[in-house]
Amino acid sequence: MLRFLVRRVIGALVILLIISAVTFWLFYAIPRDPAQMSCGKNCTPDMLAQVRHNLGIDHPVPVQYWYWVKGIFVGRSYGDFGNCNAPCLGYSFANREPVLGTIMDRLPTTLSLAFGSAIVFLILGVGAGMIAAVKQGKWQDKLASSASLLGSSLQIYFVGYIAMYFLVAKLDILDNPSYTPITEDPGAWASGLLLPWLVLAIIFTANYTRMSRSQLVEQLSEDYVRTARAKGLSSRNVFFRFAWRGAMGPIVTVFGIDLGTLIGGAIITEYTFSLQGVGRLAVDAVDKSDLPMVLGVTLLSAGAIVLFNIVVDAVYALIDPRIRLA
Amino acid sequence: MSFSRRNFLIATGVVAASTTVLSACSSSDKGGSGNGVPSVGDAKTVNIPVGTKADSAGPAPEVQGAVKGGTLYSLDQFDMDHLDPAQIYVSTEGAITVPIMRGLTGYKIDEKGGCTLVGDAATDAGTMKDGGKTWSFTIKDGIKWEDGSELSLDDVRHTYERLFASFVTEGPRYVQQWLVGGDKYKGPYSGKELDSIEISGRTITFRLTEPRTDFNYTLAMRGYSLVPKKHDTKEKYDKRPFSCGPYKIESRSIGKSMTYVRNEHWDPKTDAIRNAYPDKYVFQFGFQPIASTDRFIADRGNDQYAMTIFNEVAAERIAQVLTNAKLKQRVLTQVDTVTYYWPINTTRIKDVKVRQAINWAWPHQQLQTIRGGKATSELATTILSPVTPGYKKFDLYGLDKKPGGDPAKAKALLKEAGKIGQKLVIAYQQSDNAVKQAVQIKNALEAAGFQVVNKQIDKSTFYTQIGKIDNDYDLFAAGWSPDWPNGYSVFYPCWSGKNIGDGRSNYAQLNDPSVNKAIDAAAKIADVEAANKAWGDVDRQIMELAPVVPDYHSIRNWMHGSKVGNVVYDAGNTCIALCKLYAKK
Repeated sequence: MLRFLVRRVIGALVILLIISAVTFWLFYAIPRDPAQMSCGKNCTPDMLAQVRHNLGIDHPVPVQYWYWVKGIFVGRSYGDFGNCNAPCLGYSFANREPVLGTIMDRLPTTLSLAFGSAIVFLILGVGAGMIAAVKQGKWQDKLASSASLLGSSLQIYFVGYIAMYFLVAKLDILDNPSYTPITEDPGAWASGLLLPWLVLAIIFTANYTRMSRSQLVEQLSEDYVRTARAKGLSSRNVFFRFAWRGAMGPIVTVFGIDLGTLIGGAIITEYTFSLQGVGRLAVDAVDKSDLPMVLGVTLLSAGAIVLFNIVVDAVYALIDPRIRLA
Repeated sequence: MSFSRRNFLIATGVVAASTTVLSACSSSDKGGSGNGVPSVGDAKTVNIPVGTKADSAGPAPEVQGAVKGGTLYSLDQFDMDHLDPAQIYVSTEGAITVPIMRGLTGYKIDEKGGCTLVGDAATDAGTMKDGGKTWSFTIKDGIKWEDGSELSLDDVRHTYERLFASFVTEGPRYVQQWLVGGDKYKGPYSGKELDSIEISGRTITFRLTEPRTDFNYTLAMRGYSLVPKKHDTKEKYDKRPFSCGPYKIESRSIGKSMTYVRNEHWDPKTDAIRNAYPDKYVFQFGFQPIASTDRFIADRGNDQYAMTIFNEVAAERIAQVLTNAKLKQRVLTQVDTVTYYWPINTTRIKDVKVRQAINWAWPHQQLQTIRGGKATSELATTILSPVTPGYKKFDLYGLDKKPGGDPAKAKALLKEAGKIGQKLVIAYQQSDNAVKQAVQIKNALEAAGFQVVNKQIDKSTFYTQIGKIDNDYDLFAAGWSPDWPNGYSVFYPCWSGKNIGDGRSNYAQLNDPSVNKAIDAAAKIADVEAANKAWGDVDRQIMELAPVVPDYHSIRNWMHGSKVGNVVYDAGNTCIALCKLYAKK
C-alpha cells in the first residue's frame, strides 16, 4: 500500500507541475498586460516599468515560471508590496496579498459546501438506488427512476432561486444561505449551508440513484450472487456482503471526481447562494485578470481531483478484495 | 470624475453607479413626474454653500429618533479596489470610507437635508488669498488617530506630498497639478518636501499655480483624506488604512467582508459631519443585485439591519419594488449628477456634420428600455446633468420629438457631408447589456447610412484602450460627473484641449480653440451665478460641435432593511450616508 501511495503521489506532483506550466504559459500568451492593468489610469512609463519589475514580468516567461516554482519552496519578495512566505503560490496585486492566504480564507466555505452536500447526496442517491434495485419494476423503482430523471435535468441556478424564493423568502422555513465557521457556531454553520446542500443534493442525487441502481441490478444478476443465494445466505447478507460491495467500485470512482470538482469550486452554487468560496474566487480572478490567483485556484482544483483519485484507488482495495494495488 | 472599471460595469448593466458627484443634498427623493417614476427633470439643482466656522464645529447635529448601538450590515456585489485615500476616485470607495477617514474639508448633511461645505479636520472651510492662489487651513485640536496619537500638521503635509509618489496611480490629480513645483516633485519618501506646502503653528498653507476659488471643494474629495506619516505603509496602506474617524477597521477579508468597530479615540466634538450610532458595520460582498434585492424584499433576520453601498434594486425587481407601497418605503431614490455619454473620437471623425448625424440617429429610447426603463434613467441631451449647477436645458438633435432617433435627418446630413457609408468602429465593454445595446446602436446607425463595426473590449483594459490618443475607435461609452458642484470639474477634464493625452479623460480629444477659450474664461469667474451661466453656455457650445452623444442621466434606487433608520443621501459620495444611519431597536 505504501509503495502504491508513494508512486501515486509522485505521479500527482508531476501532473500538477505540468498543469501549472501549461496554465502559466497560457496566461502569458493571451493579449492582456497584467502590468498595465495593475498600474492604473494615471500610469506613466516609469511606473509601468516599476510595476513590471514588482510583478516579476520583466523576465522571459521560463524564468518567471522558475521563480514561481522556486517561490513555492523558499518564498518570494515582491519589492515594496512585501514578502510572500513559502509555500508561495504567487502574489495577487488585485487583492494585495499572497494568493495562498486568500485561497485558505475561502477554502473552508467550499469544503463545508462540498463535504456537506456530498454526505447528503451520497446517502440519498445510493439509498434510493438500492431501494430501486431491490424493488426492481415496482412503484418504488419507478418513483426513484422518475425522480432521478427529473433531478438530472435540473440546473442549480434554477432550483436554487426557486428554493430560496419559497423556502426562505415565502415560507420562512430555512435560513438565508451563509457561511459561519463551524468552530464559531456549529448551528449557524449547518443552518446557513442547509439550503445549498439540499439543492446540490437534488442535482447530484439523481446521478447516484441511477448509477447505484444499475450497478446493483447488474451485480444482483451475477453468478456469484446467485451462488451465494443458493448456498442459503440471507438476502441481506447477499445484498450487502456481495452485491453492494461489487457495485460500489464505479460509484466511488465518480464520487471521488465529483468531490474533487466541488472542492475545486462549485462556481454556480456559490454564485447562486452568494457564498464566498473558491469557485467564486476563481470567477472574480478571471474577471479581474488576476493571473496569479487564477493559477493558484487552478492548481487547487487540479490538486483536489488528483488527490481524490488517489484516495479512490486506495478505497477500491478496501471495498473490493479482488482489486490488488500492486 | 471618470468611471472605474467597476463603475462602468454597472453603468453598462442596468443599474448605474457614479463616481464622486455632488448634487442635491437631500433625503430620499420621493418626488417624481406624477406617475410614480422619479424624474431627473423634476430634481432641483442645489448649490452647496460654504459654511461658517460655527458650522464646522462638532458635534454633528443629532438625527431625530436615532439610537445608539447595534450592528448594521451591507449586502453588496463588490469589495473596494482601493482604501488608500490617494487611490480613491470612485463613489463607493468614498462612501464606505466616510466613517474612517477625514479630510481638511467635507460635506455636512444637516437635519433638514441641506448640505454645506465645512471644515472637517480644519476649523473652517479655508481662507483664500491672492484671488485663490493661496489657501490656508487651521486644523482642529483633539483629532486623534486610532492609536491615540494626535493628528499633526506633519501628517497633513505628508498626506499631500505622498500624492506624488509613484504608487499613486488612481486618485484625482487636481491638487498635484495645481501646487507650485508639483510638476517636478517626486514625493516625500526620498526626504524632500514640497516648498509650496507651508506649515506654521496649527495652519497649513498651499500655494497654487493658478487661482482656484473652489480649492476647498476640491479638498473635500475622498482622494485628499488624511494619512498619518508614522503609519504610512505606502503600497500596503491601500489594504489597511489608519483611521481618525469614528470607526476603524477591525477585520477585512478582501472580496468577502470588512468590519468596522468604534474608534475609541474619536471625539465627536471635533466632528461636524459624522454621527456614529451603530456599534459596528459589517460589509458583506459577493451579492448579485438580484440576490441583495430579494433579501431586502424578504427582510429577514440580520437583513432587516442591512443596506447597500453599491447594489441598486435589480432591474428584474424594479417594477415589483416601486409599485408596492410597503417596499417602496424602503427605497432611497436619488437622481444623479452623472451623465453617461458616448464620446466621438474627433481625430478620426473630423467632419462635424458626420458627428451631428450620429446624434440625430441615436436610439436613446431603445437603449433606455434595455437599461430597465424610466425608473433607472432619463434621456440626456446635455453634458451637464439637470441637478448640476450650470445646467441649461436644450435639445439640439431632436431627442424630444424622436427619442428613438431620426434616421432620415441623419442620412440627409451624412449625404450633405458626402459621407454615406461612413465606417464607424464602436468600442464597448463586455457585458450582457452592452452587447444588447451595441446591437441597437448598430441597427440605428446603419439605418442612417453608416457602416458600423462593433468591437468588444475586455473591461479590465477598456479605459486604457479608449484613453490612448492613437486608439482605433470612433465611438465609445463613457460617463462623467462633477467632482464638486461646478462646471469646471466636468468641462476641464473632459473637453479642454489642454487635457489630451494617454490616460487623460478628454476621450473625444476635442481641441477646439473657442471651446478651450470659453472653458478658461468660465474657470476664472468668481461669481457663482455668472460662472454657472457660463458653464451652461460652454455645454451648448460643445454640443453644437457634437463631439459626444449624451445618452442618459441616471436615477438610482437603493433598498434597505426595515430596521435601518435615517437612510439619507450623501451627496459628496452619491451613496447612502453611512454616518447618518442608525439601527432601530
